[in-house]
Amino acid sequence: MPRETEISVNERAFIQQALQENLRLDGRAFDAFRPLELTFGDEYGVADVQLGKTRVIARISVDVAVPPPERKFDGIFQIIAEFSPMASPAFEVGRPSDAEMVLSRILEKAIRRSNALDTESLCIIAGLKCFALRADVHIIDHDGGLVDASCIAVMAALQHFRRPDVVVEGEKATILSVREREPIPLSILHQPLCVSFSYFEDGEIFLIDANLSEEQVRNAEIIVTMNKHGEVCQIAKYGGATVDPLALLNCTNVALQKVKEMSKIIQGKLEADAKKRDAGGLMAELSAENER
Amino acid sequence: MPITILSPSAAIPPQHAPPDDEDIPMADDDDSAFLSTAQPSSKNIVTPGETITSDPQWMRGHGTYIPPNTSTIISTVAGTLHKTNKLLSVQPLRARYQPEIGDLVIGRIVSVQTKKWSVDIAAPTLASLPLSSINLPGGILRRRTAVDELNIRTFFSEGDLLVAEVQQLHNDGNAALHTRSLKYGKLRNGVFTALAGAGGGIMSRRGGVVRSKRQTFTLQTAAGEIGVVLGVNGYIFVSKHVAPAEARDVSITRLEEGVSETLYSSQNDEVEPGLRREIARVSTLVRGLVACGAKVDEDMIVRVYEAAVEMEEEERVMGEKVFGVGEGAKGVVRSVLDRLAVG
Amino acid sequence: MPLDTSTYSLALLRLDGRRWNELRRLHAQISVQAAASGSSYLEMGNTKILCTVSGPSEARRGAGGGGAGSSEGNLEVDVSFAGFSGVERRKRRQDKRTTDLSHTLTSSLTPLLHLHLYPHSTITLTLSILSQDGSLLAACINSATLALIDAGVPMTDYLTAVTCASSPSTSDEEAGDPLLDVNSAEEQELPFLTLGTVGREGRVGVCVMESRVRGEGVEGMVAVGIEGCARVREIVDGVVRGYGKRFA
Repeated sequence: MPRETEISVNERAFIQQALQENLRLDGRAFDAFRPLELTFGDEYGVADVQLGKTRVIARISVDVAVPPPERKFDGIFQIIAEFSPMASPAFEVGRPSDAEMVLSRILEKAIRRSNALDTESLCIIAGLKCFALRADVHIIDHDGGLVDASCIAVMAALQHFRRPDVVVEGEKATILSVREREPIPLSILHQPLCVSFSYFEDGEIFLIDANLSEEQVRNAEIIVTMNKHGEVCQIAKYGGATVDPLALLNCTNVALQKVKEMSKIIQGKLEADAKKRDAGGLMAELSAENER
Repeated sequence: MPITILSPSAAIPPQHAPPDDEDIPMADDDDSAFLSTAQPSSKNIVTPGETITSDPQWMRGHGTYIPPNTSTIISTVAGTLHKTNKLLSVQPLRARYQPEIGDLVIGRIVSVQTKKWSVDIAAPTLASLPLSSINLPGGILRRRTAVDELNIRTFFSEGDLLVAEVQQLHNDGNAALHTRSLKYGKLRNGVFTALAGAGGGIMSRRGGVVRSKRQTFTLQTAAGEIGVVLGVNGYIFVSKHVAPAEARDVSITRLEEGVSETLYSSQNDEVEPGLRREIARVSTLVRGLVACGAKVDEDMIVRVYEAAVEMEEEERVMGEKVFGVGEGAKGVVRSVLDRLAVG
Repeated sequence: MPLDTSTYSLALLRLDGRRWNELRRLHAQISVQAAASGSSYLEMGNTKILCTVSGPSEARRGAGGGGAGSSEGNLEVDVSFAGFSGVERRKRRQDKRTTDLSHTLTSSLTPLLHLHLYPHSTITLTLSILSQDGSLLAACINSATLALIDAGVPMTDYLTAVTCASSPSTSDEEAGDPLLDVNSAEEQELPFLTLGTVGREGRVGVCVMESRVRGEGVEGMVAVGIEGCARVREIVDGVVRGYGKRFA
């Protein structure tokens, strides 16, 4: 099994020493994210997130399916995150590594179980038809912080996505194409975002958004998922070195601040994208003004 | 705003009776830094995470560790504290066998390689038995040849049981065995018993094989002689005793030749039903001894065996169950031990 | 079917009659299985777990994680649910929850064990969940700790865990009371957090929360969790000492 090349002893010591002197190798502050680049595709529901060198693309697709019998009034929502060898030679298809499992579980808990998406709104006819939404997360380049980047990508893509409108007449549902009716956005209840804290020196030093080499050196990580309203959606500290409980609680405070900042960025990008789409679109068509 | 942790206002009501043993007090910073009594007493059980001493004059031994940047010795296993001069060690209550040089062990061949065998001796890693450390047929002083290498499976093959001695320990804990004595070699004509967690010659622990002067001995029974091999690793072999070929010419080289014919045979001899019964009885009693937490050594086995035979005889004469023998090996041994204590 | 938890705020008693800071009955035994290197049986209320340890023994060839050839031993965790353990009989053997449990156990116990003493070896931990009634991860952690102690594997300290929930708040300003050691009825209804601490100082080894809760609720749950873990540690320590006395 190909494994991530372990960081050399020398580099490890160097990074640790630098951290003790309050320095990160890329010059960031301890609580700073790498520059976040968010672009949307031509189609609805494609978000491309670049967090430093890490790059993740999320794509939302929709289909019509029969809802599970135990949840008649809900639609189906799946998040599929798989590592491909494209991102790093250590990733292998078909054999999920621990990191992959952690990623898909965290996304599941952060977005699906916290009810970020109102799945009831995906129902077309109770017990017969519903929309099956699927979010595919593709890791294009891996330089640490996969959970954070993937979560941003999925949330941005969900907010960007428009599903086709549907007309129900009794038992019969007709899905209207994009040409017939303007597709409608999903109903997003809140916007959870992940912040991972890596800690060093037995919990003395906390870093936000560690890159790959910092991830390899760290004692362990704590992933906190929050929304901008101050609700904690998920905390995951699966083990690793122990940490002081006060520091753990402090993480939630820092995370809230970061989540608010990031939400603002994502919101800004979404609005900019919407404006761009509108330029020659519906709004222009509807306006009766002539260019003179 | 910094977060403070407020402790809950009311204490958690106890649902359990507090542990009634005299708990070792917590470490204080005063001069009585040493918690336990001065004598190594088996009464004191230490558990993982318990501070043994913060006095820097002590050295740490097995079962303890010193957190970085401190001089506090902390226990890592649950067991009893032992002091050897200035060395503090904790003997776990139960642990896997850790090989030591000179231990007599019973092993099972797991795999055969070109020049050595891998042997399971219940240790954390498999032990190795090099071809060069066994008695080759045809004299003790013969060099091993390429032919021996090709015929390696004729000596021991997978699944064979053998008794051997730990000759050497590598620094990663792997043991190298040897069978260069007539006492050692392949085992047959008997029954194997593994006592899990009871190996290791644990000093403090009762109920296990202890390192003693004699690990192999013969037991006189009505049906014949039984050979018992007590491996320090908790593996035990009880078999029909085959007398060494003493009747023959007693020259060293001849003896070797005589033995070598049967040394690596995997064929069992004829074992009479009566003897089989006694073999089964002995191995059951050994298991019962461990279950009762008693020490397993020659003296104990002989006493318990004789008492058990006597008991059976009495029961037969009386024609009914006189003794309240419990279920299984443990019950038998318990009643035998009671009887010994009374008698 | 949703349960009515609104009565809590009136009587301050939970569904099973406990107060907010009460643990359920915690019963544990060690050395329950003669064949294993170490074993434990733990009950936290109606959650019942049997845990066995085998090893350290020679690493299997080609086993994942590169156990063979590494200078440290490795820990393998295998969690299985008995078909009759829950309300519904489960069909699939392996699912995400099982892998999640075993991953959490592996990564939380590995740094505590002194695995450098066992190069090229594997310690296999097998947990059988016989009955589930909430606090599953916490019970798994506690029973695994006990079984490893029984196996005589050197470890830094006890890792003990409890699950706490946050009761529904009465007002918008304040978070509700934290509840210690939840059962499955409470787990279905309330947000809960599993906390595992190492040693007496209460340093956090594991902290897993899967449900949405207000930020203030987390504080309360962590505070109660730390107290609860310390209490569990006392009980578990008592079990080990009680067992040790038999050999004294």
